[in-house]
Amino acid sequence: MKGTSIAGLGLTEVGKVFDRSATDLAADAVRLAAADAGLKVTDLDGLLISPGTQCAPKLSLQKVIGLQNLRLLAEIDALGAGPAAMISHAAATIAFGGASVVACVFADTPLKPKDFNCDAFGKQRSLPSGFASYHAGIGAITPNVFYAMAARRHFEMYGTTSEQLGAIAVGQRSWAVDNPSAQLRTPLTLDEHQGSPLVADPLHLLDCCLVSNGAAAVIVTSTDRARDLAQPPVDVLGWGQAHPGRVMHRDCDFGLRTGAADAGPAALWMAGVTADDVDLLELYDSYTFTVLITLEDYGFCPKGEGGKFVSDGILAPGGALPCNTGGGQLSSYYLTGFTPIVEAVIQGRGQAGARQVDKKDVIMVSGSGGVLEHHATLVLSGAGR
Amino acid sequence: MTQPVATWPPMRRDAKSAEFFDAAACDELLIKKCMHCGQALPPQAAVCATCGCTEISSAPAVGTATLVSWTVVHRAPNSALAALVPYTVGVVELTEGPWLYGRITGTPSAGMALRAEFVHTDEGESYPTFARQEAR
Repeated sequence: MKGTSIAGLGLTEVGKVFDRSATDLAADAVRLAAADAGLKVTDLDGLLISPGTQCAPKLSLQKVIGLQNLRLLAEIDALGAGPAAMISHAAATIAFGGASVVACVFADTPLKPKDFNCDAFGKQRSLPSGFASYHAGIGAITPNVFYAMAARRHFEMYGTTSEQLGAIAVGQRSWAVDNPSAQLRTPLTLDEHQGSPLVADPLHLLDCCLVSNGAAAVIVTSTDRARDLAQPPVDVLGWGQAHPGRVMHRDCDFGLRTGAADAGPAALWMAGVTADDVDLLELYDSYTFTVLITLEDYGFCPKGEGGKFVSDGILAPGGALPCNTGGGQLSSYYLTGFTPIVEAVIQGRGQAGARQVDKKDVIMVSGSGGVLEHHATLVLSGAGR
Repeated sequence: MTQPVATWPPMRRDAKSAEFFDAAACDELLIKKCMHCGQALPPQAAVCATCGCTEISSAPAVGTATLVSWTVVHRAPNSALAALVPYTVGVVELTEGPWLYGRITGTPSAGMALRAEFVHTDEGESYPTFARQEAR
């Protein structure tokens, strides 16, 4: 089986970008990624697309970019797990000879000029009926509300505290200070985290990710080919997915355990490494709590001890386990599962400037979709350059 | 100037929820039950999570529950809820086993014993909320 690598990276302007559609942004990101790799878009023979909240981009992106005679073309929607899932599908297809140069792209434009952030994911686009109207009518809608209930359960079961979640936000902001692509680069104190407004108790505003418009793409190809291209290859060593299909019934592990507990070990096993070998973590951080529960599920600390584990700055600059070194979705920008992937590629290449970590032989990347319902893990390496 | 009275977004029935809302109008919490294995299922279930069976019947729940988790929502998820914050929603475990999201009245605490109460409105369907069950 052929080794595969990420050979190109394309990131559009992200944030309050209002003059481009999701499809336009996706096309831009693919062209940027191909150019970054030293390829022409006509060199692509595969295109995988993760749609965002606007139900775009779609398969028609092929024609928008002008790609002909593709051997692989599909939309892969696994919500926040989609980008990591796309890269694993691309790597598997390339490894078995089904395609040779595959672009994986995500784009979204949830922000509108007049929205406040919550509206981007909470707007009732049509009047709901049936059980959906029950949930809308009791106010049990939007990710904030469900993640807050997940976090509250963890707090009650294990004694996790808001200050411990705050340590994650503070650490990531310290990383963002040195990331020119980050939207929030002013250092943050724990007091400021605690003083930020409650959104849905126990989650404060500074526990929640940003909402951004933009697009990102990567080019995946064989490691042999990647070595001859323009950028240092970032090798794809392993991957795993887990979709537990949580049943809301007595003994449900909602808020206590996620698919990361299955996907993480599977990806590490494929890569032939263990959690002890991981140099760098880039974790999906829709909320601070998402990072905490993923750390537990991946086995970096015992279940229930995530709060204690993160509270002393282990994830922050200078800590023993660097995590979300670009600031993550909390402080840099939100392109669902691509936010951690983009930073993993930049770090793996050794191109992260002032925030570059020393060790990057084993980089563990997570993607999480729905309310902790879908999980995808990648194990990447920047050792091969 | 008088403040407009904040009203919760009205609920509207469809074919799959009609029985549930009819029962709520009569102060009854209707759930589902697998006809094959007897597993109690949440009101919106169309398939049995235990055996995969699609033969599902309706069954009244006793209306008691315990509080699994909750949140006090401070920032309204959308403009329809803007005048209603802060409010408390939770996930409750019905005595029969299924979990249900519901609005919680009173001060929440983990494992709190709850009882379904029913809201009847002119605007939309009747529906259950959950309140602390007073000790008898």
